[in-house]
Amino acid sequence: MSSLDLADVATRKRKLREAALLLPLFGAFLLVSPLITVFTGFTTVFGLPLIFVYIFGVWLGLVLIARAMARRLEKS
Amino acid sequence: MLSLNTLIAVILGYAVLLFTIAFWAERRAQAGRISWLRSPFIYTLSISVYCTGWTFYGAVGSAARNGFEFVTIYLGPTLVFIGWWWLLRKLLRIGRTQRITSIADLISSRYGKSTTLAVLVTLLAVIGSTPYIALQLQSITLSFSVFESGGNANLTAFWVAAGLAVFTILFGTRNVDANERHHGVVTAIAIEAVVKLVALFLVGVFVVWGIAGGPAEIFAKAPPEMLRGDSIFSARWVSLTMLSAMAIITLPRMFQVIVVENADEKHLATASWAFPGYLLLMSLFVLPIAIMGNALMPEGANPDLYVLSLPLSQGQENLALLAFLGGFSSATSMVIIAAIALSTMVSNHIIMPLWLRFAPQRTETSGDVRTILLRSRRLSIAGILLLGYLYFRITGGSGALASIGLIAFAGMAQIIPSLLGGVFWRGATRTGAMLGLLFGFALWAYTLFLPSFEGSFILSQSVIENGPFGLTFLTPNALFGLTGYDPLVHSLFWSMTLNVTLFILGSLLSTPTPLERIQSSQFVDVFRLDQSTGSYLVSRSATSEDLFTLAQRILGADPAQRLFSEMAQQQGKAMGLPDATDKLVQTLERELAGSVGAASAHAMVSQIAGGGTVSVDELMNIADETAQIVEYSQQLENQSHRLELAMQELRGANAQLTEMGAQKDAFLSQVSHELRTPMTSIRSFSEILRDSDGLDLPDAKRFLGIIQDESVRLTRLLDEILDLSHLESGRGQLLLEPVVLQNAIEKALSVMGALLEEAEIVVENKLPDESVVVLANFDRLAQVFINLISNTVKYGRGEGPKLDISLSITEAYATVIMADNGPGITAADSKKVFEKFTRLSEASLAGSAGLGLPISREIMRNLQGDLTLKPSRQGAVFEVRIPLI
Repeated sequence: MSSLDLADVATRKRKLREAALLLPLFGAFLLVSPLITVFTGFTTVFGLPLIFVYIFGVWLGLVLIARAMARRLEKS
Repeated sequence: MLSLNTLIAVILGYAVLLFTIAFWAERRAQAGRISWLRSPFIYTLSISVYCTGWTFYGAVGSAARNGFEFVTIYLGPTLVFIGWWWLLRKLLRIGRTQRITSIADLISSRYGKSTTLAVLVTLLAVIGSTPYIALQLQSITLSFSVFESGGNANLTAFWVAAGLAVFTILFGTRNVDANERHHGVVTAIAIEAVVKLVALFLVGVFVVWGIAGGPAEIFAKAPPEMLRGDSIFSARWVSLTMLSAMAIITLPRMFQVIVVENADEKHLATASWAFPGYLLLMSLFVLPIAIMGNALMPEGANPDLYVLSLPLSQGQENLALLAFLGGFSSATSMVIIAAIALSTMVSNHIIMPLWLRFAPQRTETSGDVRTILLRSRRLSIAGILLLGYLYFRITGGSGALASIGLIAFAGMAQIIPSLLGGVFWRGATRTGAMLGLLFGFALWAYTLFLPSFEGSFILSQSVIENGPFGLTFLTPNALFGLTGYDPLVHSLFWSMTLNVTLFILGSLLSTPTPLERIQSSQFVDVFRLDQSTGSYLVSRSATSEDLFTLAQRILGADPAQRLFSEMAQQQGKAMGLPDATDKLVQTLERELAGSVGAASAHAMVSQIAGGGTVSVDELMNIADETAQIVEYSQQLENQSHRLELAMQELRGANAQLTEMGAQKDAFLSQVSHELRTPMTSIRSFSEILRDSDGLDLPDAKRFLGIIQDESVRLTRLLDEILDLSHLESGRGQLLLEPVVLQNAIEKALSVMGALLEEAEIVVENKLPDESVVVLANFDRLAQVFINLISNTVKYGRGEGPKLDISLSITEAYATVIMADNGPGITAADSKKVFEKFTRLSEASLAGSAGLGLPISREIMRNLQGDLTLKPSRQGAVFEVRIPLI
């Protein structure tokens, strides 16, 4: 492995850690900010209220991203 | 309808199952087969103790009353867990390195192992958790009442509390070391976590697809205001999310399962997504159940019990039974873990310090402390459950489930500023933490906790409505005229504002003790320090016997023996007790902290070891030691530098020696060559004389003359070699005397007169008339000049050959310069002339072995002078330097 690759790996690890710090802030922005009011109202998606789909969709998304990141963080 | 007897039978059966599982897991753990028990999923499931009876029943109730709001209770923990890298990982590492036993221990340990803080946090935890435990008892009795309305609620609650106390004492206090995982309990909790998830999930599926025709039909029944924007995002929405995020860290039972019971830091990585996933599944069907309950159940039905009453109303008794077990699991698991966590705190931070204070001499003399510890822990468990039961009896099941839970959350959230500050801010001090906690908690009690009794406890109804003594600006729910907010938001705002402000101001304005400073860096820099650097705590007056006795009494005989022999081995002792070094004291203190908490461990060890906290003197000593180490390392550096230099010198000397060895070899081969030439002629002429008969006399005489000449030459050569080696070895000390320089030169000229004349060399003597006296040996000095003149005769003859002899005098030396006008000596040869047997490029003249110049130089050096060859344009210029007298 050349030194360039090593530097690459280090940079990627650093970015991963920074992303791990950002994820909860991002989640808070999506779920605990006035942004959430955009998705309220009587619109429905497949018969479900938009707000229900939004909250649980974002939640599921966060879980999946956290899973992908946890696996990588664990390795590094 | 299910009969009460069936219900009791089912509960008993379930309890027996849990006991069996816990017992089995404990046995497996003792046998060392714990790989399965240590899996990250068991860890994740044990964290789900967060979802209590309040979640199981109360979330649906909350959704039925306030719509989406219930989600916030799960969103907070979700955000904390997906941000595990930032905070939870650090807490886990600190918990491991400092052997933290509870949230109170963490705060106390961070702020200088303060007992006061530990007591304060423990009291807060007990006050905050008692209603919560009562809440669980209430949820169980309520769920009973669904099946059997005529039952005695108080009796049910009592038996449930008693059963839980037995289970907790049985499996929660097997070991005195709180850091040891309670495998049995954790495994049972994990099973309960699965039961409650499956139960709620199945009820949800039944409600959505069994009662209604799918999710769309249910949401069509939802009241329209549930989906309005302002009913979702509000100050309460933000506050509740923040509150639940703080609660997941500070609630004693959550701290217990996340930090204390954690077996491996890596499990956190899995829990970071699996636990939010679990919460997601738990809350997925809450809203549909609530909507259906509102639509189907008669007016006045308790929304908190929709999970049970909905299946029952549809005749699904088995499903209802499963839901009942789910609720039972949620409530019991919370009570068990909370009781373990609280009993650890109470016995470590309240009972042990009291015992230490009132029996100071007993640490050294009395029997096994472990028994006392275990007994105090068991008593605490019973006491805590009794307290919960009493609270339940007194309040008589007041208020909705969820609001009691939120009040407890808000109380424990007061720890957050001190916790976050302690973990990330080095400057946070004990005073700040104490002020923040005290006032934050007081304000919480005044604005939220006490008013929740609705006038029946301390605060009267009139005070709650109009403020104390008619001071309206002190009205608990509208402090300083802040009205129009939800009481929870209002209380959280004021208590947190005061808490954070006092914490920061107190920290800035106070000076931390040395121990606090040490602990603060141990906490804040936990990833950088690792375990290697410990706290320099105790003066060295402890004897290892005392420490051993202490360890035996708290850790037990075998573990203490193991620990001490390990330490002895590390110190390089084959047997016996280790020395009472700082490291031993630190290790012991840390081990004890695992059993009795940092503050008590510190107090005990300090009692034996002397100085309680680090004094300024000790810090000075530490600083001195550090300085000494720095100095020592500098010395080492210097030494290694010097060694390097010596090495270089040695290498040079070695090279020189090798060269000299080569020179010696060359010299020997030269010598043998030089000796061989005369020997050959002597041998051949003597053979001719012996073998030729008709040899006439003149011829014979001539041959004999040659033999004679060669012998003389041989002798002289040997003399010269001897002389040179004599001079070189420096053994022959020359006798020094005042010598008139001119006389020595005159002597040499007269000796060489004939040869000079023969070679037609004109000598130009430019020496001054007045005599120059030098310190030398006359004969040797003359010998040097003779050699130089003879050298000129042999090699230095040019056109009209001449030899200039002049003199220059400097301060300490007289320098004779002899210059000829011969071919001179090239720069390349100029070094070789002083080497033995070097006869430059010219053919040699008979009679010289080439030793003249080396001998002369040796003589001059022995006379404290020198002989050098000066570079010149023409001819060879030799300079003889002689010290003046």
